[in-house]
Amino acid sequence: MSHGWLLQRERGSRFALCLITWIALHLGRAPARALVYPICVYFLLFAGRARRASRQYLQRVLGCRANIMHVGRHFHSFGSTILDRVFLLTERYEQFDVSVHGAQSISQRVQEGQGCLLLGAHLGSFEIMRTLGIDKARLPISVLMYEDNAAKTIDIAKKLNPELASTIIPIGSVDSMLLVKEKLDQGQLVGLLGDRTLVHEKIVHCSFLGERAVFPAGPMLLAAAVQAPVFLCFGLYRGGNRYEIHCELFAERVDIPRAGSGQELQHWVQRYADRLEHYCRVAPYNWFNLYDFWAVAAP
Amino acid sequence: MPEETHLESEVAGLIVETLNLDIDPSEIDPQAPLFREGLGLDSIDALELALALSQRYGFKLRADDPNNTRIFSSLRALSEYVRAQRVK
Repeated sequence: MSHGWLLQRERGSRFALCLITWIALHLGRAPARALVYPICVYFLLFAGRARRASRQYLQRVLGCRANIMHVGRHFHSFGSTILDRVFLLTERYEQFDVSVHGAQSISQRVQEGQGCLLLGAHLGSFEIMRTLGIDKARLPISVLMYEDNAAKTIDIAKKLNPELASTIIPIGSVDSMLLVKEKLDQGQLVGLLGDRTLVHEKIVHCSFLGERAVFPAGPMLLAAAVQAPVFLCFGLYRGGNRYEIHCELFAERVDIPRAGSGQELQHWVQRYADRLEHYCRVAPYNWFNLYDFWAVAAP
Repeated sequence: MPEETHLESEVAGLIVETLNLDIDPSEIDPQAPLFREGLGLDSIDALELALALSQRYGFKLRADDPNNTRIFSSLRALSEYVRAQRVK
């Protein structure tokens, strides 16, 4: 099943996470980055499942046999973005060289007081979106997150920056989406990632990188329920301290009639999968779903 | 029909209609859970239901209400809440 990521424990003990966070904050990004190499070697040796998933994905996206060097590069880009979260959470944005494409239309909506959904994926760094508009007015972004699964990461976020951590909307309580609607009505932005499915969640089969995969129906159903504009947002990591933010209008409004045949839902989710595929090809090593994404149950 | 039961079947009808459920409103057990178990609704359904309730009865459900889990716990609890809060 494709919710395999849920079963995969957050790897790394709390101690290791705290240690690398301490080094990053007290000694700087360069020494902390030096640690990413041995960590990648450790994962190459001991995280068989992630290694196989990486190779399988890279073969699809690159269209050639992926070797251990490809996988190493993939893990390194993953490790780098995780480390950079520390700096993003502590708002040390000056560390990064960020180029932004297409975000003006989002700032404009915010100025007009119109709330929007920002739909991303586990592709690159969604947190880099926090740097948007830092030179002017900070964009009011909240992010929907599966709090149970990422408990350790969120713990650290709370310690590093309680104010920022308070903009996390945990998924799973009955009123989570009521809160999303309220934020949107107040003209705020709500981010969510549309590529991972949960147990017991409604799913949609889509074609993705040449084969069928399952995607969650939730993000599109939410978009239809709140009737807010949806922007796609991907923060691609380009090596060193470089990030590229790509934003594009996905839909002014997503309409999915409850009484429909499911075709509209299929159409919207497939459109999302198509754009995600496009960005996977733009930045192949940014895919951070390191489990068998295509392990789909029979349709 | 006593007022409570009447409102209960009205809310049941609204749930079925809003969420386009493939059941008859009378099939909803007033005391069974609405979310996850029972009817198996999720938080997006809850949002759509809240919007429909506010349109029909003129009150707003708020995300920061600590009683939300209880309010949405069953058809009976939801109907009681509607009875107490409705302005139309």
